[in-house]
Amino acid sequence: MILWIMVLLYVLTGVCFITYLFWRRRPVVLIARGMFLASIAIHILLTLSMTGPACPIPLASPVQAANMMVLLASLVFIFFAFRRQTAVLGAFFLPVAGVALGMIAPRLQAGEGALPAMFQAWYPLHTVSVVAGEALFAVAFVVSVVYLIHEGIIRKGHLHWSAASLPPLKLLDRILSACLGAGFVAITAGMLFGALWASSLDVDLSQIAMKISAGAAMWLVFAFSLHQRFAIRWSGRRTALITIAGFLIMIILFVGVNLAYPGAHGAGLAR
Amino acid sequence: MNRLGCLSINHRSAPVEVREKVVLSPQDFRGLCARGRGEVYALTTCNRSEVYWTGVDELALLQHVASLSGVSGEDLRGYCEIFRGEEAIRHLFMVASGLDSLIIGENQILGQVKDAYRQALAAGTTSTFLNKALHRTFRTAKRVRTETSIGRYPVSVASQAVELACHIFGDISASPVLVIGAGDMAGIAARRLKDRGAGDLCIINRTFSAACDLAAELGGKPRSFSALREELLRCAIVITSTGSPAPIITRAMMDGVMKQRRNEPMIIIDIAVPRDVEPEAGKCYNCYLYDIDALKSIVDKHVSFRQEETDKALTIVSAEVGRFARWAGSLDAQATIRDLFSLMDEYIASEMGANSLEPRHAAIVEQKLRSSLKRYLHRVASYLKAHPTLTNIEQTRRIFQLDEDYQDRHKG
Repeated sequence: MILWIMVLLYVLTGVCFITYLFWRRRPVVLIARGMFLASIAIHILLTLSMTGPACPIPLASPVQAANMMVLLASLVFIFFAFRRQTAVLGAFFLPVAGVALGMIAPRLQAGEGALPAMFQAWYPLHTVSVVAGEALFAVAFVVSVVYLIHEGIIRKGHLHWSAASLPPLKLLDRILSACLGAGFVAITAGMLFGALWASSLDVDLSQIAMKISAGAAMWLVFAFSLHQRFAIRWSGRRTALITIAGFLIMIILFVGVNLAYPGAHGAGLAR
Repeated sequence: MNRLGCLSINHRSAPVEVREKVVLSPQDFRGLCARGRGEVYALTTCNRSEVYWTGVDELALLQHVASLSGVSGEDLRGYCEIFRGEEAIRHLFMVASGLDSLIIGENQILGQVKDAYRQALAAGTTSTFLNKALHRTFRTAKRVRTETSIGRYPVSVASQAVELACHIFGDISASPVLVIGAGDMAGIAARRLKDRGAGDLCIINRTFSAACDLAAELGGKPRSFSALREELLRCAIVITSTGSPAPIITRAMMDGVMKQRRNEPMIIIDIAVPRDVEPEAGKCYNCYLYDIDALKSIVDKHVSFRQEETDKALTIVSAEVGRFARWAGSLDAQATIRDLFSLMDEYIASEMGANSLEPRHAAIVEQKLRSSLKRYLHRVASYLKAHPTLTNIEQTRRIFQLDEDYQDRHKG
């Protein structure tokens, strides 16, 4: 029940931020911020309630990992929500977050128990780093979408009044750069921890070849994006397009590997 | 309300040669206000000079304005518009909301109306009626601005250019600005950028002295034309308006510049005819190029949008005029009721003074007379309180000849 209240709150907060995008009144953003805080508070409590002696961290399954990813991304967006220039970013993130939580909510209710291999030190390091990296890529994805929308409006020249609420391109580019940089560091560290964890389990590498290939492909996309950004100084539109492509690949791999090859990663591997 | 008047010499009614002579300030009207219960509010902007008054003789005021401006009274009547009652308050609301401006929806006028009001308060030329009228004016202008989109989009090429730059860079105070050319258009755009906080301004012109003059006016830095490429590398916002017959910024040049800038975003506003920048230059990565035609077509859209919004704004103005008229009506109703009872006192006094009754009987007769008249007038007073329309008040004053009696009483 509380889970569904949280999902509803996320969606309603998204509606509030969308209203603020078109009707820029202070009370609207104050209500939206309040609801966002309430949503996150409930989300944290629910996530903490998943832990226990049988499950020290709430990352025992792909569903819990997705839940944690949404929570971490929300924590980044709550920071944006309290800044005047970036408050409207919530209009683009929260509805997606609400829908994502709505999709995973039925499976979250079932509860998960950690397997013995998950009690090893490498496992939490691996999962937390990877999920944090993915959350930052999710933030970068949303910012990229906003960047492309705003840039399209600016190129046309007619600054529709809803565009007045959108953050300036330079600021969006800075946020994008910061998220990509931090996300890449987290993902790289997470992959290293994952490798150490897998080696400690003494598994056959061919068993997790699919996951390694998928992770490497995603890592390469973001490495390419960062290289172009810092070495060739691609910024703005091109970085935004690569980020969107990279994030979509990441989602496809995350869902694909975990659904098509359930034994090739995470809980499956731990068994 | 009917005593409110407005004399307006504006961009429609008078040429600039006349307008520039009529510069009015509230201090000029202190003498008029000191003589009685009159109130005067004077407003002067670049497009209009207006006086709003109540309780002041219109003819005396016209003569006063004529003597202040040096324009003969007869000429002044030909150049001015006069509004009375509700039309005067409607005009004030429309002026403050930017609906009577040369550029519909412009918002500078409200600041000027407020400044003039501050001066009027300091000079002591306004009181209850005009104070209330002006507070209502500010409220109306605020409603028009917030409830309609009349002032939302820029309607000048310079403002649109600044707006685009703000959407790309956010705070433009940190973005260096390059102005190529020192003509009127470049100057206007540069001034607008300066007003919005641009701090680092560089002006390049083929005639270096003209660049120096504009730079001195704007607090910028003049550079010779040979420094163009160097400044393009440094500046993020470029405004160009030269008389050059051929483009001064080419695609090849911009390719090199953007490469050296490491693709740092740049906005180029080309308001020159013929164009100073090759259209192909706008295809460079992270380079946003707008020429005069592009900006003009956007601005034209904005102008027509403002005109569409005018209807909504006029509805708000009408509603506020109605509210103010009700308030003014109730104010006049109270005054009318007071005048009615004064008239009753006067009538009783004249009746009692004309008879030769004993004091004991006289007191009884006076008491009876007063009580009867009060009962009779109470009905009128109640009706006026319940229906304080201008028509009812006017008719009551006419039936009882209150205005004549009131003046006579005070003359006595």
